[in-house]
Amino acid sequence: MNATFQGVTSQDYKYGFVTDIEADSVAPGLSEEVIRFISAKKGEPEWLLEFRLKAYRHWLTLAVPTWAKVHYPTPDFQKIVYYSAPRPKRPQYASMDEVDPELKRTFEKLGVPLHEQEALAGVAVDVVFDSVSVTTTYREKLKAVGIIFCSFSEAVKEHPDLVRKYLGSVVPYSDNFYAALNSAVFTDGSFVFIPKGVACPMDLSTYFRINNKESGQFERTLIVAEEGASVSYLEGCTAPQFDTNQLHAAVVELVALDRASIKYSTVQNWYAGDKDGRGGIYNFVTKRGLCKGKASRISWTQVETGSAITWKYPSCVLLGDESIGEFYSVALTNHKQQADTGTKMVHIGRNTRSTIISKGISAGESSNSYRGLVKVQPKAEGARNFSQCDSMLIGHTCSASTFPTLEVENRSARVEHEATTSKIGEAQLFYFQQRGIPAEEAISMIINGFCRDVFRELPMEFAVEATKLLSLKLEGSVG
Amino acid sequence: MTAGVESGPLSELLASARPGGWEALRDAAESRLAHRDADLAPLGGRTLRTAPPAIPPPASADAQPYVHPEMMATRQVFVNGFHASHASCATALPAGVRFFPISTASEACRLLGTLGEGAPDLFEDLNSARFTEGAVILVPQNLRVGIPLHLLFLNHAPAAGEGSLPAVFPRVLVALDRGAELELVEEHHGEGAYLSCPVVEIRVGEGAVLRHERIQREGAEAFHFGALRAEVAQGGQYHSRTLSFGARVSRQRPRLHLAEGAEASLDGLALLGGTQVADTQSFIHHAAPHATSRQLHKCVVDGQARAIFNGSIRVAPGAQQTDAHQQSRNLLLSATAKVDTRPQLEIYADDVKCSHGAAVGQLDPDELFYLQSRGLSPEDARNLLTYGFAADLLARIPVASLRRSLRHLVLARTQAASLGDLA
Repeated sequence: MNATFQGVTSQDYKYGFVTDIEADSVAPGLSEEVIRFISAKKGEPEWLLEFRLKAYRHWLTLAVPTWAKVHYPTPDFQKIVYYSAPRPKRPQYASMDEVDPELKRTFEKLGVPLHEQEALAGVAVDVVFDSVSVTTTYREKLKAVGIIFCSFSEAVKEHPDLVRKYLGSVVPYSDNFYAALNSAVFTDGSFVFIPKGVACPMDLSTYFRINNKESGQFERTLIVAEEGASVSYLEGCTAPQFDTNQLHAAVVELVALDRASIKYSTVQNWYAGDKDGRGGIYNFVTKRGLCKGKASRISWTQVETGSAITWKYPSCVLLGDESIGEFYSVALTNHKQQADTGTKMVHIGRNTRSTIISKGISAGESSNSYRGLVKVQPKAEGARNFSQCDSMLIGHTCSASTFPTLEVENRSARVEHEATTSKIGEAQLFYFQQRGIPAEEAISMIINGFCRDVFRELPMEFAVEATKLLSLKLEGSVG
Repeated sequence: MTAGVESGPLSELLASARPGGWEALRDAAESRLAHRDADLAPLGGRTLRTAPPAIPPPASADAQPYVHPEMMATRQVFVNGFHASHASCATALPAGVRFFPISTASEACRLLGTLGEGAPDLFEDLNSARFTEGAVILVPQNLRVGIPLHLLFLNHAPAAGEGSLPAVFPRVLVALDRGAELELVEEHHGEGAYLSCPVVEIRVGEGAVLRHERIQREGAEAFHFGALRAEVAQGGQYHSRTLSFGARVSRQRPRLHLAEGAEASLDGLALLGGTQVADTQSFIHHAAPHATSRQLHKCVVDGQARAIFNGSIRVAPGAQQTDAHQQSRNLLLSATAKVDTRPQLEIYADDVKCSHGAAVGQLDPDELFYLQSRGLSPEDARNLLTYGFAADLLARIPVASLRRSLRHLVLARTQAASLGDLA
């Protein structure tokens, strides 16, 4: 067995390159002045500056959370650059041709050339490069049905009432250390508003890219689906190779009103550090959806393969009666990666349902933990939850942990949790090999089978990408 | 009341088991009870003191209701933490087995405080600093003890009042030498308001087998914070079943260390009503390859009671071929009952079979309907199913009279007694 599982590769990070664009950055460090600078730079209204300052003052009173099963040197928050914007050669882009050619080359290297993206299966791409939105496609098409899909800064300018109404309504600035930090310094992100009764005609997609050395990226995403509306949102990330750790502390808020449905899918492949654990992204994200209305539905699907440290718990607050929360996750860690990820399902309304399917794969010397909470409040009559958390270990130097918490205060609730741990069996591999399938391919097939319950929840384009990504990430650890 | 070990023969041996002075520990305990841990709030503001010996000293008849015919002459009885020699009787012990009060022990005390896993919690520290009495059980190599041993702890305290709270700190040490086998029944009964902090330390030698039944029926006003440490050597087996019925607030904190090829089961049942709180914080460490563990923890929660299960299993690096399975199953009977459950797996080896599960719910409506279709009233159907859920764990209790009396207790507690003698 050992012979089979030895010697594998360590494929270099395919997307490791740094684009040299003059950035319009503020000096490292955080203070009220920096926050005022960011706010002024973005021409924000007074209330938003107040929101940021309140968050900053609250953040000062908080301690860095240490409860997660991850170990890393605490980032020096005074060494982080809190604002950097790619300086456009021209202020506006009338067409794709005017976009900074260097920027375009970066996207091409990433394999997401915009012109191809435009053509790709009706996906509208709002590309965030460092912190400022560069271009938004398909805006007009969406506008026709009343959908707003734009960068966060534009939304603040053009739809201040909507932003003000929903910002911080799901993740208050006081929620946790990194959410408070994000609320104070967030630079940009995406805003989506689907009006009453509208089913979004296409999947909405944002590609994130961290580019400036030592610049933290603080994204803010807000998606609101009004009564009867529905939307599928895709988020995918890759990042260049750096030696210094980069902090990413995003906040994502979803609000679903009566009978609305939001599907949020993520493929995360940020730089994970080298084989010895040097470098890599710190991914400390707060994602939460509020099923505010009756029979609303929020579904999180994630494929987490990158980042040195992942600390992420996409959650659903099931406030509306008969609302539904779902969480489908594949988390893969290799080398020295550490992931502590899971979800929270808070049942408040009557007859609410939630499903949790989590698949963890650990290889190398990595540590992969599932941490989850299912909470049924006293008035959540008829609440139903099913959780399944499976772990797969590849090699004997990695670890897999499961920390579910079930808190039930209503007797009519039915809450079930199951977890198993397995490995790729010698017999399984042998079977594949005697059918002429090489070991590496066999492992990839076994892993895809292991993750099938999650992959089938992904939109088509992502499902293809995810399958490839997992094989790619494991090349080098098994074979 | 000063502790007898202060100047007794144990004092030197115990010195190392005492991390701090009694006063400091007591202050720490009290401040924690008062401020930090909401479940322990009812304990806050009480001054802890060691319980006085029962006055008048109990006649042997007092222990009579708790004596089982199978263990008539293999019992040691402790009242308010003191050995009740007149109520005890250990004349039927097979040759070689030693079963005696800890205050007369000397050679075995070396093991105290050295067994098991992880740092002691505050209540265990309190016990280490304050215990005066308890029991030592030693079984020599390859001896299979064919008769169960009985450890009976009785506590009598005045009903709840303000101010000071009597406390008892029983200590038990069980050491089975290589290839030995033993069945042990440990019971805690009581009346009145008091704090009971027992600590049980166990060493199961290579290939030895210990079956341990633990019954907690403390008084309704009492607090029970028990710790158990067990070290199971290569090929040894430790099987325990902890049944919690009594106490206002109770906590069980078993910690197991399994060597290569060891086997363990750690089952539990908590039957709660009123405003009872029962908390189980277990830890099973698979420290070496080829060990097996099974854990089934059941809670039946009625009234405004609250059950907590926090069960952790750790598979150490290199502990290949580990087979660990953990189940937490909970039945909520009232609208105000509450269950928090946290099964945890931490795995550092790849060739293992580990799984855990947790479920919280009410009785299955289909099962209720089935029983009703057979002519049972809705209430009887409910009680019968509740009894069945709980009694499942009693089936394999080896001592017949104990099994029977516990079944009657569960029947009464689940109001299923009217259905006839199911026991």
